[in-house]
Amino acid sequence: MSMLLEVNGVSVTFDGFRAINNLSINFAPTELRAIIGPNGAGKTTFMDIVTGKTKPDEGTVIWGERNISLLGMSESQIAREGIGRKFQKPTVFEAQTVRQNLAMALKTPRGPFSVLMHKKTKANGARIEAVAEQIGLADSLTRSAGELSHGQKQWLEIGMLLAQEPRLMLVDEPAAGMTPEEREKTTDILREAAKTRAVVVVEHDMEFVRRLNCKVTVLHEGSVLAEGSLDHVTSDQTVIDVYLGRSHA
Amino acid sequence: MFRLFSLAVSFWLLLSSSLFAQSLQDILQTHAAEVAKPSRSSVSVVLDDLVASGLPQALPFLEAWRDREIVQRESDGLFFRSTETAGEVQLLDLDSGEMIAAGDQDLQKVRPNGGVRRAIGDALVQFQLSDPDIIKRQAAVDAIARSMDASQLGPLQASVAGETDANLKRVKQRLAGMLVATFGETPQDRIAAIEELSGDLSVDTRAVLNTILATNSAVSETLPEEGNLAKVLTIGEDISPEDAYSRLVAENLAPAPVSKVAIRDALLAHMDGGSVGGVPVSELGSDVTRARAYDRLAEDGLVPPRVSEAARTEAVAAHKFYLEYVESDPSVTDAARAALNGIETSVALSQTVDLGLDALSLASIYFLAAIGLAITFGVMGVINMAHGEFIMMGAYTGYVVQQFVPDYTVSIIIALPLAFAITFAAGVAMERLVIRHLYHRPLETLLATFGISIALQQLAKNIFGTQARPLTSPEWLDGALVFNDVIAISYIRIAIFVLALLFLMVILFVLKRTRLGLEVRAVTQNPGMAASMGINPDRINMMTFGLGSGIAGIAGVAIGLYAKVTSEMGADYIVQSFMTVVVGGVGNVWGTLAGASLIGFLQKGIEWLNPSNTLAAQTYMILFIILFIQFRPKGIVALKGRAAAD
Amino acid sequence: MRKTFLSQNPSVLIFIALLAVFTIVVTLLSEVTGVGLISTSFVKTLGKTLCLSLVAIAMDVVWGYCGILSLGHFAFFGIGGYAIGMWLMYARTEGIVMTSLASQPLPPTPAEISDAIGNQIFGVVGSSEFPLIWAFADNLFVQLLMVVLVPGLLALVFGWLAFRSRVTGVYLSILTQAMTLALALYLFQNDSGLRGNNGLSGLQNIPGFEETSQAKVSIAFFIASAFALGAAYIGFAWIVSGKMGSIVQGIRDNEARVRFLGYHVESYKLFIFTTTAVAAGIAGALYYPQAGIINPGEVAPIASIYLAVWVAIGGRGRLYGAVIGAVFVSLLSSWFTGGGAPNVNLGFYTIQWTDWWLVLLGMSFVAVTLYFPKGIGGLFDYLVRKPS
Repeated sequence: MSMLLEVNGVSVTFDGFRAINNLSINFAPTELRAIIGPNGAGKTTFMDIVTGKTKPDEGTVIWGERNISLLGMSESQIAREGIGRKFQKPTVFEAQTVRQNLAMALKTPRGPFSVLMHKKTKANGARIEAVAEQIGLADSLTRSAGELSHGQKQWLEIGMLLAQEPRLMLVDEPAAGMTPEEREKTTDILREAAKTRAVVVVEHDMEFVRRLNCKVTVLHEGSVLAEGSLDHVTSDQTVIDVYLGRSHA
Repeated sequence: MFRLFSLAVSFWLLLSSSLFAQSLQDILQTHAAEVAKPSRSSVSVVLDDLVASGLPQALPFLEAWRDREIVQRESDGLFFRSTETAGEVQLLDLDSGEMIAAGDQDLQKVRPNGGVRRAIGDALVQFQLSDPDIIKRQAAVDAIARSMDASQLGPLQASVAGETDANLKRVKQRLAGMLVATFGETPQDRIAAIEELSGDLSVDTRAVLNTILATNSAVSETLPEEGNLAKVLTIGEDISPEDAYSRLVAENLAPAPVSKVAIRDALLAHMDGGSVGGVPVSELGSDVTRARAYDRLAEDGLVPPRVSEAARTEAVAAHKFYLEYVESDPSVTDAARAALNGIETSVALSQTVDLGLDALSLASIYFLAAIGLAITFGVMGVINMAHGEFIMMGAYTGYVVQQFVPDYTVSIIIALPLAFAITFAAGVAMERLVIRHLYHRPLETLLATFGISIALQQLAKNIFGTQARPLTSPEWLDGALVFNDVIAISYIRIAIFVLALLFLMVILFVLKRTRLGLEVRAVTQNPGMAASMGINPDRINMMTFGLGSGIAGIAGVAIGLYAKVTSEMGADYIVQSFMTVVVGGVGNVWGTLAGASLIGFLQKGIEWLNPSNTLAAQTYMILFIILFIQFRPKGIVALKGRAAAD
Repeated sequence: MRKTFLSQNPSVLIFIALLAVFTIVVTLLSEVTGVGLISTSFVKTLGKTLCLSLVAIAMDVVWGYCGILSLGHFAFFGIGGYAIGMWLMYARTEGIVMTSLASQPLPPTPAEISDAIGNQIFGVVGSSEFPLIWAFADNLFVQLLMVVLVPGLLALVFGWLAFRSRVTGVYLSILTQAMTLALALYLFQNDSGLRGNNGLSGLQNIPGFEETSQAKVSIAFFIASAFALGAAYIGFAWIVSGKMGSIVQGIRDNEARVRFLGYHVESYKLFIFTTTAVAAGIAGALYYPQAGIINPGEVAPIASIYLAVWVAIGGRGRLYGAVIGAVFVSLLSSWFTGGGAPNVNLGFYTIQWTDWWLVLLGMSFVAVTLYFPKGIGGLFDYLVRKPS
C-alpha cells in the first residue's frame, strides 16, 4: 500500500537548537496513529512542518498518490490538499456562531469570489447538521462559539476538522481538559474518522493513547525513538530511559 | 663758467633729490603736469616714482588722489589735499599735514578719470601689501583675490619676502601662484604654477582653473586648423538640434526659422477681409492651414519663406559646432585640465566623506529618536504614537530651563536629566493610566497613544504658542570641525553623535549587565515564562516605558539644539522613527542602530542624487522601505525561533 | 438572496430608510425648493459629511471587520478627489480659455488652446506644460474611471506586496502610514504635475453647469452622495454578512486558523483592502467638488488617523457605527473649531474651544478606547438585546 504522507530526513534548527533532527515518518491513507514524546521532542514542530507553517532546513515531505512535495506550498494550499489541523489550544472563532464556524470549515470552494457568491444550500446545511450531531453540538448551532465550554470548543474544532473532510487529520492534544466521558466520546469520533482517512493524534496522556488502541510513534529530541503498539513501545528500554530519565532529572 | 654753473646746479639738484626731494610735494612738482591732468598712459611714471620713494605720506596722498580730494593752487602750482569743515575749505599740506585756510585762492581740482583711478588703486594695493597694519595687508590681499589682475602679480610677489605674518605669507604665496597660473609670462611659469595648485581643493583654486579653461562656443563649416580646440560638440548629445540651429542663426549662417507665433503675427498683419492668403479666417484653427496661408503670403513675397525642417537639419549637418579655449596655448589648458581633473577627483572623494559624516549625524539623530520607541515596541509590543510628543516635551524642557538659567552650558547640563525625569514620569503615567489596560490590543494602543499625541501637541501649542522657540546651544558647541575646504562637521552634530554613542553604550549596559536588563530581555522573549519565573511584568513594563520615554526626552533636548522647538517637531520625527524600528527589526538595540544607519545613509544618498528636491528624496526613501519590508519583513536584525513565529 | 440578506439584516433597512428620509427632508428644506431653512453652505456640509460617512464605512470594513488598521484610506479618498478634480479643473479652464480666445481675430489652434490652459493651470508652479498624468484630463469618462482604478490599483499593488510578506498588525499600520506619507510628499512637490501645495481649486464650478445655481448643484451632489452612501452601505453589508463576512472576521480574530482551514488569507485581505480603497476613492470624488478645493495637506497621514478615530468613536465592526462616528465627530469638530461652541470662562482662564477642541478630542478618544471599545454604536446593544 502506498503511503499518504512520507516525511524523509527532515531537520529544522531554531537559533542553533535542533528541534527536528533527521526525522522520517510515514502515514498510510487510512490509519490512526498516536505520536507521543516528552516536552520539546518536536511534536508540534513536526505538525508545523507538515502544515507549512515552518520550512525545514533539509529533508522532503511527499504527499499523496501523485507524490507532491509539500515544502514549496503555503499553509492554505496544503490545507486544500487535504491536511487538516487541530491546534493544542482550541482555536475557534469565538465571535461567530457554531454554525458559522462549521460553515467556514465545510469543504466548499475556497476562492474569494466563489465565497462572495456563495449560496446556502440544503446539502451544505445537512452536512453542517450531520457534523454537529457527530460532535454533540446539534442543539448549539446558533450559539456563539465563545459561549461554549472548553470541551465543547475542543469538539467544535474537531468538528471543523471533520467538516473540512481532510485526508489527513493532525490532532494536537484533543483530550486536554476533558472529563472522562468527553474523552471517551472524543476517542470514538477519532476512531470513526480514521476508518476513511489518516488521523494523527499528538497526546501526552497515556491513558487516552491506550484507549485509541493504535500504532504509536515515540519522538525524542526531534527524531523517532520507537514505533509500534503501545505495549511494544512502553516496554522499549530506550523509551523508558527517556521518560523515566527525564522524570528523575 | 656756465658749464661749471650748470654742473653745480645739477649737482645741487642731485643733492636735493637725494636729500630734499624726499618731500612728496617735490616728486609731485617733478611730474606736475601728469598729476594735474593724469591719463592712463602717463600716470604710471608718477606712480612708479611715488612707490619707489617709499614715503609714508605717499599712501594717504594716493587715497586722496583716487578720491578726488587733491587740488592744485594756481598761484604756485602746489598740490594740496582739500577738506571741507563747517562749510569752509581747508587745505592740508601733503607733507606736514598742516592746515591752511584756503581763503579765496584759486584752486584747480584734480579729476583723475576711471582708468587712472584704477591704476592708482593698484598702486595703493602695493602700498597696502606692505602696510605695517596686518588688517590693511589682509584687506589688500582680499582685494586682489576678489578681482585678479596681471598688474598685481609683481607687487604681490615683491611683498611676499617682507611679510612677517606666517599665515598671511602663505596666503600671499598661494594667491601669487594663482596669479602666475593665470597671467604668468611664459607657459612654463604658468604650467609650473598650475601644477602647484593641483593639490588645493578650495573653491577659488577651482575658479582660477576654470577661468583658464574658459571656452567660447563657435561654429564654422570646417574645424579650424589653428586655435586651441576644447571639444567638438555632437548634435543631439552635447547640443540639441534646435540650439545648434539657433547658433547658426545667431552667426548669420542660416536664415531665422519662422516660429508659430511669427506665422500668427504675419497672418494677422496680412489679413484681408475674411481671408488671408486665400484661406478663409475661420479655417485658420490649425497649424496646417495656417502654414498653407503663410506659404501663399511668402509666394507673394510679403513675408520671408518658412525654413523647412529638412533645410534646418541640413544646415546643422553642414556645420561643425565646437568649443574653443580662450587661452590659446594648449599646453597650459592641458595642464589646467589635468590639475582640475585631479582636484575634482579629490573633491568628489572629500564630498563622499562629507556626505558620510552628514549621514552619520543624521543616523545618530534617528537612532536617538527611535531607540526609546524600539525598546517599548520590542518589550511590550506596543507602538507609542506619542513618542514624538515626548521628544517635543524634552525640547520644551530645555527651552524652559534656559528661561531661568541664562548660562547655556549649565542650562543644558540641568536640562538633560530634567528632560529625562519629566518624560520618564510622563511615560510611566501614560503606561499606568492607559497602556496597561490595552495590552494584547496593539492596534488600540496605537490609537489611544495617538489620542494622547494630538492632545499633547495641542496643549503645547496652547502653552507655548505656534511660533518656534529657540534652544540655544552653548558657545563651545558653535562652529564646525573643518578638515579641508569640503569636509566640515558642526560641533553640535558631533555632540549628538557622541550622545548617541553614549546612549548605545548605556542601553547595552543596562540590558546586558543589570538585573533590570535581564528581566527586560526575559519579558521580551517570553512574557509568560518570565512571569512564572517571578518577574513582575507589570513593573518591567512600567520601567521600560519610562526608560523609553525618558530617552525620547533627552533626544528632544539634543534635537532642539540644532532644530527649532515647535509643538509639531515630534511629528516630524515620528514616521522616521517608526521606519527605523521597522527596518531595523524589533526588540534589538543593534537592529535599531542598523535601521538608523540605513535610513540616515539612504536619505543622504538620495538627497545627494537629487539635491534640488528633498521631498522627492523622502518619497523615494519611503518607497524603498516599503520594498525593503518585502524582503525582510522582520527587519535587518530579526528575532528567530519559535518566539518570533507567532 | 437579496431578500434573505435584507431580512436577516434589519439594520440595513432601517439605515436606508433613515437615509432616504433625511435626504428628502434636507432637499425639501433647502434653497432649491424655496423654503431655504437649510442654507446652501450647510447642504454642502451635509453632503460632505455623507461622503465622509462613506469613507468611514470603508474604513470600518477594512479595520473593524478585517482587522487591518489601514492608515491609508484617506489617501485613497484624496486620490479620488484629485482624479475628478483634474477633469473639473481642466474642463472649466478650457471653457474660460475658449471664451477668451474666441474674441481673437484668428481661430486658435489646438496647441494654442492647450498652451493657454496649461498656463492657467500650471502658472502657479511656474510651468505651462501638461504633465503626462493629465493626458486624459479632458475626458470625463477616463477620469471617472481613474477615480476607481487609481486607488484600486494602488491598493492592489501595495496590498499584494504587504500581505504577501505577511506584514500584519502595527507593522502594517506603520507601512500604510508610510505609503500615505510618501503620497502626500509626492503631491507636495511642484513638479509632481498636480500643482504642488496649491492643489486643485475651483472644483465647485461644474463645467457645463455654469448657469446652474450653486444651490441646485449642491443639492445634486448631496443627493448623489446619499445614493453612493446607501449603495455602499448595502454592498458592504452584503459582503460582511454572508460567508465572506465569516471568513473576513475570522481573519481578524485568528488569521493563522483561517489559513489552516484552506483559505488563501492574502486574497481575502487584498479583496477587502482594494474594494474599500475603491469606495474611498468614490467618496473622495464626490466630496471634493463640494469642498471646492483639494490640496496635499488633505492626504497627509493625520487625516487617515482621524478616520480611524471616527470609526473607533462610532463603533467598530458595525457599519452604522462608522456612519455615526463620521457624522458625530466631523460635525462636532466643525462646530468647535468654527467657533460655534461657547467659550468657558473659568475666572482665571477662558477655555477657547478653537484652541482646546483637539485636546478634548484626544482625551475623549483615549477614554473611548479604554472604556467604550464598542464606541457610540455599542449603545444600541443596550437598546436592542439580541435573543441568544
